[in-house]
Amino acid sequence: MLQNLYDFKNDLNRRGIFFCFSGPVSQDLLVEIGATLKLKMELEEAHNSVALRVFSMVVEQAQNVIHYSAEKCPKEILPGSEKQDELSIGIIAVGYEGEHYFVLCGNRIHKEDVERLTERLTRLQKMDKEELKKFYKEQRKKGPDDKSKGAGLGFIDMAKKASQPIEFDFREIDEKFSFFSTKTVI
Amino acid sequence: MENLKIRATKYTPEIIFDCENDQLEIRGESYPENIAEFYAPVFEWIEKYLEELDDREVTVNMELIYFNSSSSKIFLDFFELLDFAAENGKKITVNWIYEADDDDTLEFGVEFQEDFESLNFSLVQKDS
Repeated sequence: MLQNLYDFKNDLNRRGIFFCFSGPVSQDLLVEIGATLKLKMELEEAHNSVALRVFSMVVEQAQNVIHYSAEKCPKEILPGSEKQDELSIGIIAVGYEGEHYFVLCGNRIHKEDVERLTERLTRLQKMDKEELKKFYKEQRKKGPDDKSKGAGLGFIDMAKKASQPIEFDFREIDEKFSFFSTKTVI
Repeated sequence: MENLKIRATKYTPEIIFDCENDQLEIRGESYPENIAEFYAPVFEWIEKYLEELDDREVTVNMELIYFNSSSSKIFLDFFELLDFAAENGKKITVNWIYEADDDDTLEFGVEFQEDFESLNFSLVQKDS
């Protein structure tokens, strides 16, 4: 791995990725990732609204990992941590290609969630901006379903702010789990 | 009743609800991990305040840099309470304050404005 690290970094760069994190994601980590990305984009003189959109994608995605990843750090590893007795594991990457920033996010999920997520995301892919806006307002008024730990608006918000439909993919891990990946382009 | 003051953190806004001057302000960023927990005291305060409020004029200033999607739901619930109070004759003005180059915050403001009829909901561009 030591020898391959440079190749690994180059591989990421070739794909336009300038930030990549894989491992346990916490709220504090997400704040720092967000702040660093904001600073980077500021230095590159990205438009403020673009930087805010990238930031918002990273927040929604990272909070999805925190709330829904089926891969956790077990309790015994983290004694005495505040209010949080487990950490969620995922991968988040941010890149730039074809004059657009993009955010990649992946985490393990339970297989039974594949169908529901496919249905939701496919539905969003087919909507134009006006439909997304309407759907967002409807869902916000209605409130979240039982499975949601937030307002159930994260993907719709991302789809609204993205310049292209959200791409997604599932990879089977074993009989219990799949790996869920998304790509949003700003 | 007492004023409500909550200091800002990196991911929660500053909240200053001043019941002596009838000025309520939410300012900063809002993307806590546990949204319900953070906003519970805010809702508790506002419900009590609206109950005790007579015909004084209330100004609510919302100046958010960034908020996540679950905060957006919370704000809707908050405005619904205010809108209901306005329907019942309370004089409430909400100022949705946004930066000139922040299209998304402006759009959120426009969308909230569309949702409420009784509430005086203004979009205010910040001086740069």
